[in-house]
Amino acid sequence: MRTVIYTNFDLCTGCAICQMSCSEYKTGGTNPRLALLKVVPNADGLIHQPVTCQQCQNAFCMKVCPAEAIYRNEENGAVIINEEKCHGCGLCVKACQKDVVLLDKPAKKARKCDLCAGEPVCVKSCPTGALEIAKLGGAKDE
Amino acid sequence: MSKGYMGKFLTINLSTSETKEIDVPQWLQEEYVGGKGYAMKLLYDLLPQGADPLGPDNPLMFFPGPLTGTLAPSMRACVATKSPLTGLLLDSYFGGHFGPEIKYAGYDGIIITGSSIKPVYLWIDDNNVEIKSAEHLWGTGTLESNRAIKKELQDDSIKVSTIGPAGENKVRFALISCEYNRQAGRGGAGAVMGSKNLKAVAIRGTHGVEVENREEFLKAVQQGYQELKDSPDVQALVDTGTASAVPFANEVGLLPRRNYQDGTFDKADNISDLGQNKDYWLRSEACAGCPVRCSKVGYIRTGRYAGTISDIVEFESAGLLGSNLEIGDAKAVTYLSALCDNLGVDTISAGSVVGFALEAAEKDIIDKEKLPAGADFGNAKAIAELLKNIVTRNGAVADILADGVKMAAEKIGQDSDDFAVHVKGLEVPAWGPRGNPGIALALMTADRGGCHQRGLPLGYELAGEPWNGKVLDRLALEGKAEIMVHEQNHLTALDTFVKCDFGNFGISLSNYLKLFSSCTGRELTEEELYNLGAKIWNMGRLFNLREGLDPAEDKLPKRFMNESLPSGPCKGHHFTDDDVKLMLKEYYQLRGWGIDGRPTEETITKYNLHQENTFSID
Repeated sequence: MRTVIYTNFDLCTGCAICQMSCSEYKTGGTNPRLALLKVVPNADGLIHQPVTCQQCQNAFCMKVCPAEAIYRNEENGAVIINEEKCHGCGLCVKACQKDVVLLDKPAKKARKCDLCAGEPVCVKSCPTGALEIAKLGGAKDE
Repeated sequence: MSKGYMGKFLTINLSTSETKEIDVPQWLQEEYVGGKGYAMKLLYDLLPQGADPLGPDNPLMFFPGPLTGTLAPSMRACVATKSPLTGLLLDSYFGGHFGPEIKYAGYDGIIITGSSIKPVYLWIDDNNVEIKSAEHLWGTGTLESNRAIKKELQDDSIKVSTIGPAGENKVRFALISCEYNRQAGRGGAGAVMGSKNLKAVAIRGTHGVEVENREEFLKAVQQGYQELKDSPDVQALVDTGTASAVPFANEVGLLPRRNYQDGTFDKADNISDLGQNKDYWLRSEACAGCPVRCSKVGYIRTGRYAGTISDIVEFESAGLLGSNLEIGDAKAVTYLSALCDNLGVDTISAGSVVGFALEAAEKDIIDKEKLPAGADFGNAKAIAELLKNIVTRNGAVADILADGVKMAAEKIGQDSDDFAVHVKGLEVPAWGPRGNPGIALALMTADRGGCHQRGLPLGYELAGEPWNGKVLDRLALEGKAEIMVHEQNHLTALDTFVKCDFGNFGISLSNYLKLFSSCTGRELTEEELYNLGAKIWNMGRLFNLREGLDPAEDKLPKRFMNESLPSGPCKGHHFTDDDVKLMLKEYYQLRGWGIDGRPTEETITKYNLHQENTFSID
């Protein structure tokens, strides 16, 4: 089993409260750009697509990490960066095809969604329910 | 520097291409707080007296407030400059995502002076500032240029403010379109930007905005969310935005029809939330950090305007482009509103200017042949053509109209001033005011001209909301000035933070103060807040007087004085000179102004407005 944050684009208003809350909780400063999830408007402004870490089963970020700093929390399936081991090379940032692993340049550390120890602040703060916690099954061959 | 602030202004001189960072002086932060406070003081200090609004000496400034870009619910930012429409102060507020990004880039304000020889745009990437060519963008619509700049800079997350062809052509009611499709609409800031040959400002910021007392601040944020939820007024905005005010305004007889001749419109429901929801709405849209989501977005599915993507046609746009022009079809009004947004003109002034032109043609004051074929009230197709002509100043008549109704009436003459509906040059919004003395006083005394956002006593005058424990008589003249001064001070003070008018429907004053104190570490009492509002209001008045305001211009458009309201619950009402005099006398007295409408020496001293501290860029 793994836990992910499921996104309902049709309910997203683009208010960025999820991102502002995430950055506030994780960094102490508010700025959607520092958040560990994205909200991407489509070109004509008709919708916003929230993009969250899928805690991939075949996690590219984990695969490419030369420091073996990325591991899986077996309880909820979250893919987690061990800050002590991470030396900020940025390979995981490049590897993430959803663009939700960030490099904290001043700290020289990679950052990604860790589901806030089971209670993601983005989900809690979303005013419309555009973000939901979903429990998924494992891979077919598990 | 207190938390909540970034501590720096970015200044850009487009004549010399010089950019620099200036520390925000401590005295400025203490005395003027942010947003509107900075706007009024810096306009006074930076604008050379009598400078041409469309000349290089007029500064164009963007100010967020200390709460902008934080989790404090429903915050905005403002643009300040000298208005080319009124020759007076202009502060125009916008939501969306551009205001917060100024803070994220590390600034409490952006001050643009001078003018470029060629079209340019600004690219502010934290503290890297570039002036880039915009020659390839000149002539494009507001949203088209927004998208083109993101593509060029290869980042969709950049926040951009742009002008459309209207700003480029210095149409005096041109707007600035702020990320995304949020307008600093009123007063012609877009024309000032165009006069500087500045097509756009693009920003990307990576700084976080910190607060002083995190725990208290987050508590106040949660309380703010709850207050917004508990407010029926706010919940109406969640459901239907301001479009649902159309049937209300119609019911109480305030909805402009036929260039403000009348106050009711039989097709009001069609252009309200009811018609809009049926014809194009799909989902709700919100500004940064706002749970209210008062905007509705969608596209027109069928018919002549199929494919038009638009935000909500909010109340003012529905009033001025709809009922005022006798267009009772939501699809047509939506098309006209989206057209104005993309060409970059204020829908209020645009609807008023078109109404003025149509009436002038009807009265044979302007030659009908010089307007697009079929131009008349109710003809959306011809009106769209006329708007396009005005925005491009195509033809002699359109060129005159592009300067707004006041200047147009001056040029056209022939008593056209009788139906040029403006106060101090700013076209009047979609609220009455015949039958509503409080609204009349609001329009007469608003610091930027005919504006409803500086205090609108709708609740007290029309919805039975008690003032100091008493329900007011709608038509009473006495006592309305007291409400007006209170409202103006209240809203001005909160515009230093910078609040949204709609958030203010729900969030309590005490909670705004909690948000402010936990964010910045500075405690303000309610009394101090009102004094701050009064101080800044007086600062604005001093600026306007210095720039040549004749206090006799604190008056109503002739139409509301000379012509009785033809329909609605206040049928037959109009204002008299005595009505106006009585209200203004009370108002001036409560403001601490002489009967000549000027702040007295005592008032200037009381609010410490002797300009001992002066802000300068050099």
